[in-house]
Amino acid sequence: MLYDGVQCEFPPGYDGTGLLERLQPILDPELDESILQLGFVQSLHVHDGHVTIVVQLPTSWCAVNFAYMMADDIRRALLTVEGIQHVTVRLHDHFAAEAIETAVNAGKPFAEAFPGEGCGSLTALRMTFLHKGFTSRQERLLRALRAAGLVPEDICALRVGDVVLQGEACVVQRAGHAPIEVGAAETLGRYLARRAELGFNCAPTAPLMTDLRGHPLAVERLEAYYQAARTVRVSLEANSLFCRTLLTVCQPNTCERVL
Amino acid sequence: MYTHHGEDIFVIDGHTHLWDASPANWRNKYGESWIKCFYTFHSSLSPAEAVWPFEKFCQYGGETLVDDLFCKGYVDMGILNSTYLYEFYLNGFNSHIQNNAIKAQYPDRFILCGSFDPRAEEAGLDAFRHMVEDYPIQGLKLYTAEWRDGSRGWRLNDPWAYKYLELCQALGLKNIHVHKGPTVYPLSRDAFDVHDVDYAATDFPDLNFIVEHIGLPRLEDFCWIATQESNVYAGLSVAMAFSRLRPQYFAEIMANLLFWLGPDKLCFGSDYAIWSPQWLIEKFMAFELPDEIKKEYGVDLTLEIKRKILGENAARLYGIDIAAQKAKLSQDGIGVKLATVA
Repeated sequence: MLYDGVQCEFPPGYDGTGLLERLQPILDPELDESILQLGFVQSLHVHDGHVTIVVQLPTSWCAVNFAYMMADDIRRALLTVEGIQHVTVRLHDHFAAEAIETAVNAGKPFAEAFPGEGCGSLTALRMTFLHKGFTSRQERLLRALRAAGLVPEDICALRVGDVVLQGEACVVQRAGHAPIEVGAAETLGRYLARRAELGFNCAPTAPLMTDLRGHPLAVERLEAYYQAARTVRVSLEANSLFCRTLLTVCQPNTCERVL
Repeated sequence: MYTHHGEDIFVIDGHTHLWDASPANWRNKYGESWIKCFYTFHSSLSPAEAVWPFEKFCQYGGETLVDDLFCKGYVDMGILNSTYLYEFYLNGFNSHIQNNAIKAQYPDRFILCGSFDPRAEEAGLDAFRHMVEDYPIQGLKLYTAEWRDGSRGWRLNDPWAYKYLELCQALGLKNIHVHKGPTVYPLSRDAFDVHDVDYAATDFPDLNFIVEHIGLPRLEDFCWIATQESNVYAGLSVAMAFSRLRPQYFAEIMANLLFWLGPDKLCFGSDYAIWSPQWLIEKFMAFELPDEIKKEYGVDLTLEIKRKILGENAARLYGIDIAAQKAKLSQDGIGVKLATVA
């Protein structure tokens, strides 16, 4: 349920589903998970076309650039909801809350608001993490395909349309072969969603496994590619785990939701 | 010394501190924030019985360190990672001068790291030379994210950093520990980017670069660089602390390191006093890679490999003859005390 853990205060008869749906795709860029699922959104308040949203990040010292990015994403997403003219983002318990709120709520670019942070372009940073997330999501699917007994020749020959969702499961259906179950539907869904986000061809006839440039993976490269992707996935998971563990002391209430 | 089925395992803790983060030493709010951030690391990952009160964590003193490392913690030798942070702490957080107080008492127990900051440019070269002449500096700890006069960090491949690394070679310093790990408030995240190690390691093949905290959260970048560069090593502190709460992830991190770097380039570190070697080593020795991880990665964490990680690899880097060193250590104040207790 999208509303879980979010304190909502809407005018009588107001349907807040649209707001929550726009928040759903906003990710913690490092952890590659929705801020709603992570439990970062504390409250949503709507009054006269003005949304006030309170966000609590895992630790009070979350990097300024990432905190700005999430706050800015939230503001932009909510401004696209019909009837919303103003958005105020509040960061609860963050060391740079005031500076970030002032910049984000005024629509000020990061580099202008934080000239001393020297983090370069947020667009490049965002792309780096979209790519890491792509690799990590792809590794999970690759792992499931390998575990189901598919060899590199099979995997590289797969087209997007060869893998279908059946209920909670993901199934490989190729002409002339018996269907093979290859893990959870979510694994495929998350991978394809990120492919689409990166602008790669997602047509049923497109190759299922591509590299970060959208080029098909060659059979002889697959094993090395998988080994490198595995490390990216472990790195992201370890980072996520570290953040979540820190939550246990920083935010005892939030941690129950995310651990 | 850890004893496993009657067999001694020589332990070098590659990452230890004797810091002073007491309120009297805080220069500003950052001094307070810094130690509170460390305290969060400490209290979230340590077992309950190993969690200290905050006051003790701010300043614990040399005798507590000696007791926790050598008497309770199975450690034979510790590498003191000097960290300065003069912009946050009036007298520094744990400078080589502070660390040397305990090194002077137990000279054979410690390897003392000094440091340089290339932003001091020409003027700093002489100061660095003096540091190495005046103190028993055997290695360096570099903190590329340290603040200095409005700068939020530097990179190992900055031109001035190369001048200092050249001087290290001339002075006979071989081992360079570089902090590349999780962001510590208020330091900037980008300064922990690990790619500068790649340039420096290629251009200074005679130096060893021990990447502390294995570049987390950039394990993949670190593994890639360490696989290309024969003189890049992994310092395992922070990663070790996962062993208790999340053994599955610890297993995967270790499997990745063994897969990419092999068993000869991994060095144990506790990051004392953030975490204590006693529980870390007990967990590590009891830990085994699950079968599916062994199969997936084609690696194992055998007793022989644990022995390398806990001490043999660091001993090789610092030219320590373990048998001779053990004999020497059995004669110092700590060795005598341990023998009496036994």
